Amino acid sequence: MAIPSRYCSSCLSHLRLTAPAPTALALRPVPFLAQHPQPPQQKRHATTSTSARAAQFRSKNRDKDASAKKKKARSHFLQPDLKKAIQFSLVDAMRYLRAAEVGRPPTSAKYELHIRLRTVKNGPVVRNRMRLPHPIDTTMRIAVICPPDSAIAKTALASGAVIVGEETVFDAVKEGRIEFDRCLCHTDSLPKLSKSGVARILGPRGLMPSAKTNTVVKDVGTAVKGMVGASEYRERDGVVRMGVGQLGFSPEEVQRNIAAFIAMVKKDIGALADRVSKGVHEVVLSSTNGPGMSLSGEVRGKDSVDPRDVAVVN
Amino acid sequence: MVSLSQRMRKLQTKLLAIRLGPGAAVLPKDVKRIHMRFGAKINGGHMGPRKFWRHELIRLKYHNPAVPMTVDQIRESQTPETEATMSIHFVSSENARQTSASETSSPAPTDSTTTRTQPSDTDPTERVETIDMKNRTNSEILQQLMQITRAAPVEPTEKDKEELQLLEEQSVRSERDSKQYAEHRARVKRERDLFEQGRNDSAMQTA
Repeated sequence: MAIPSRYCSSCLSHLRLTAPAPTALALRPVPFLAQHPQPPQQKRHATTSTSARAAQFRSKNRDKDASAKKKKARSHFLQPDLKKAIQFSLVDAMRYLRAAEVGRPPTSAKYELHIRLRTVKNGPVVRNRMRLPHPIDTTMRIAVICPPDSAIAKTALASGAVIVGEETVFDAVKEGRIEFDRCLCHTDSLPKLSKSGVARILGPRGLMPSAKTNTVVKDVGTAVKGMVGASEYRERDGVVRMGVGQLGFSPEEVQRNIAAFIAMVKKDIGALADRVSKGVHEVVLSSTNGPGMSLSGEVRGKDSVDPRDVAVVN
Repeated sequence: MVSLSQRMRKLQTKLLAIRLGPGAAVLPKDVKRIHMRFGAKINGGHMGPRKFWRHELIRLKYHNPAVPMTVDQIRESQTPETEATMSIHFVSSENARQTSASETSSPAPTDSTTTRTQPSDTDPTERVETIDMKNRTNSEILQQLMQITRAAPVEPTEKDKEELQLLEEQSVRSERDSKQYAEHRARVKRERDLFEQGRNDSAMQTA
């Protein structure tokens, strides 16, 4: 049987690796049995480890096959040339995605944004949470325990709280009407809250405000804002992904969300600038069941439909 | 991550499937809304409606973005009597108030997340046509829909045809290449096995 020459050469390189010194001895024809590497102890006995490693390195370089197999690992994520990509204006992309999502409940299907970064594979990653101009998950109902008709109550309601008050809230809870998913308490109302005895009802449900869970706060406005519709994002495999809208959102609303999200990511990149340099490479809009479409950056293209037509719910 | 050309080819195929094919039609301006209601399970004649939703309705929606199209799947206690209907809502005339002045407009309200308390000023539905979709195939449903609405089918443009042809050529080529490469891989494997066998044989001889 004819044996391909490449197999022979690799056999020989094996021998050279393990032989005490790369001499003509090693090139002597040897039966196949002997090609298995000798135990490492023998190598150590024969020569110092550094020179052995040097010999290994040299012989590897001489062996073309071996060096071709071992590619140098890439340090950055790939950055495809976007000139070859088909890119879409926001309205065009939304028209396709709306079609792909037809008949789905408008609150369950979502638009997603994928921001591909120019970045190294290792090192710090972009990670943060933010509140979009038009939050996606608005189903969360927040109660704030603070004196009703006060300035605090007003700011709480303005920033998205649903139920505000002291006695009224306590009475409702005692009657079993818990119509909220989160409960915050203003620092000044804490004594009233602890005296009211609702802890027994709220405690087991995990709704009882306490300083430990940061639900007893002074600045109610920002706390409520931070809670309502905040979304988290982080960079994975060089891409930051986040939901940016419900399917029923109009192009303007999605556009505002996208702009806010990208601005936030850029800010995060800026914060990491002293440790690692990153940049936005590509922005892709997709949806729960739809295709991913690279965005060109413009809202409306030449042949796009009227944005008001895409804004129709369903 | 796949290569960009591969990604774009796949995307192009998907987009063409959304744009062209059965169901690609422009509805007249008096169609206000289309609603489908059928069972979540296909037994009892509910397969056609679901196929219509997954294939034809997508294309219809692409060409009529402003017409609301909703699907209601009956999930609880589906019986043989469960209905499968499509209702098409019309306004009185084609001169009804439209979402916009564009070609793709419709007489539907265009509010999404605004907190307006006033009712929208769109024209109310004047008549509703229903199609019984039970035990009907998706093509039959489409045919009846086209008859009732008098929708105009969308033909592929020259550019679309070109793209379709390119994708077709590509798929033929890729099939040929994958076959060729499978043969190549089989050959390499055969050689390697033979070599491996020879090695074992010679080892046996020397031992």
